Amino acid sequence: MAHHHVPRLEDTRTTLDGLGPRVVGVSGALGVLGLAATFFLGNAEGDGLRRFGYTYLTSYAFILSISLGALVFMPIMYVTRASWNVVIRRLAEVMAAVMPLLAVLAIPVILLAGKVYGWSDPAVATSPAMSHKAAYLSQNAFILRWVIYFVIWTGYALFFWRTSVAQDASGDLKLTRRLENFSGFALMVGALTIAMASFDLLMSVDPLWFSTIFGVYYWAGGFVAFFAVMTLVTMGLQNSGRLTRIVSPEHFHDYGKLMFAFTFFWGYIAFSQYMLYWYANIPEETSWYLHRSQNGWGKLGILLIFVAFVLPFAGLISRFAKRQRKLLAFWAVWIIVAQWLNLYWVVMPQYSESFTFGPMDATCLIGLGGIWLAGVAWLAGGNSLVPLKDPRLEESLRFENA
Amino acid sequence: MSRGALYGLLTEFESPSLLMEAVEKVRDAGFKKWDVHTPFPVHGMDDAMGIRGTRLPFLVLGGGLTGLGLATLMQWWMNAVDYPFMISGKPLFGLPANIPIMFELTVLFSAFATFFGMWGLNGMPRLYNPLFTNRRFRRATQDRFFIVIEARDPGFQLDKTREFLASLGGAVVEEVRESAED
Repeated sequence: MAHHHVPRLEDTRTTLDGLGPRVVGVSGALGVLGLAATFFLGNAEGDGLRRFGYTYLTSYAFILSISLGALVFMPIMYVTRASWNVVIRRLAEVMAAVMPLLAVLAIPVILLAGKVYGWSDPAVATSPAMSHKAAYLSQNAFILRWVIYFVIWTGYALFFWRTSVAQDASGDLKLTRRLENFSGFALMVGALTIAMASFDLLMSVDPLWFSTIFGVYYWAGGFVAFFAVMTLVTMGLQNSGRLTRIVSPEHFHDYGKLMFAFTFFWGYIAFSQYMLYWYANIPEETSWYLHRSQNGWGKLGILLIFVAFVLPFAGLISRFAKRQRKLLAFWAVWIIVAQWLNLYWVVMPQYSESFTFGPMDATCLIGLGGIWLAGVAWLAGGNSLVPLKDPRLEESLRFENA
Repeated sequence: MSRGALYGLLTEFESPSLLMEAVEKVRDAGFKKWDVHTPFPVHGMDDAMGIRGTRLPFLVLGGGLTGLGLATLMQWWMNAVDYPFMISGKPLFGLPANIPIMFELTVLFSAFATFFGMWGLNGMPRLYNPLFTNRRFRRATQDRFFIVIEARDPGFQLDKTREFLASLGGAVVEEVRESAED
């Protein structure tokens, strides 16, 4: 349109250049220091790293859920042939493609499984209630499943990222078509593996408890956190003079809408899980919630209703909040903390009957988050930050909310 | 044959880019009761026309809160006051059991407020629009772009407004009457 200036890629910087190594250095150093501090503090507990194992699981599950969010985000964009996201899609591709790093970071979870997971306790494993799942919830089967998950997730993430990067050079439309054709299948595989992984990673901490909706509960929390991270990363890049103008308030408005929508979705799922158990009132099902509603954990649970659901829902409901940069950044940080806190409430009551919180819980999140961000920056450094020749790039640059 | 009272003046354009310039001039001239008709949505039109944000979200919020309050009151009155009935040892008014209905009525009343609020704000239902009397206007759904200034606009003066519209560079300026011309 004659009246409308459509931003062009030449108007801004679309590569990390010098910023990449700096982020890798600072974030990586922070990560290593954070994890070292956590290990030191965990060792000082004198419980054979039991406390460390639980806090590591909490933060690891959180960081993993962000990359899993990215992994699901890409195929949804392809199957719907959406165009708004193209200008920021490379960031999601990179966040998913750090999957091999997450596989390495999973090693402590596997090494400490004997201290963290209820099924590794011989007294529990031999109880009659466990007889039909003892083979499934055993050390070897657990390791085997994690190998399978990471082979699938890594292959899937690298396929999206590499195909998209290849298009930067060739501009071949067949590459987009190939990803579109693969995306439906990818979504099914993603949904199944993420659900199974959430059972292994978090639900089996208490091996006698089960919830069929748990996979969606875990994924939904990660998906909100993923959009919050995308918002902050995009803003950070813009503050350094990259992706300015081409990512407009219209795109941030969409981040806001997605954070708003999936905050509600997460709340809906969390409540659905709770209500069915509350209503049926069967001891083997309510034990998990009973445990989490006593000795301080209950107060955290009530707090979570407001922190992870009511407040961000009310805060992001207006168009104004979604288009106000600083307000959106505030809620993005809020959501990241809230969703981490949710996983803390899921995992930690299994460690301690009564509420506990220590510095190592914070250092562990900083440590794993730092290493994850360093990995993302390292991967992003080699290519353009924008899919240069995506057929829908032009539409994405022109994008306007109705 | 009587042609009814004057509804307004219409001018026609052949392309969206010609239209946009004219639209900005009408906006800057301070008209209030006027509209633009195009065969397809034109990006940036809201800004060019100076249309302010809709009040609809506040109606929807009101509808949603009404539904939420009504659902809470209704369930409390039915289950805890009017017909208390103990079911599997649950409290007579237990919040978890009531949340699904609170959610549903919030959604239902929000949807009503959105749908009927949109009607109200757009002056619907309306079976007839005087613009349908104009033969030229039929191309508004095909390949022509129109600006219409209504006679009830406080700034409307037949001769001056006709002159103003003619200066915008459209193909023609025509009067639109309240009832059919033939």
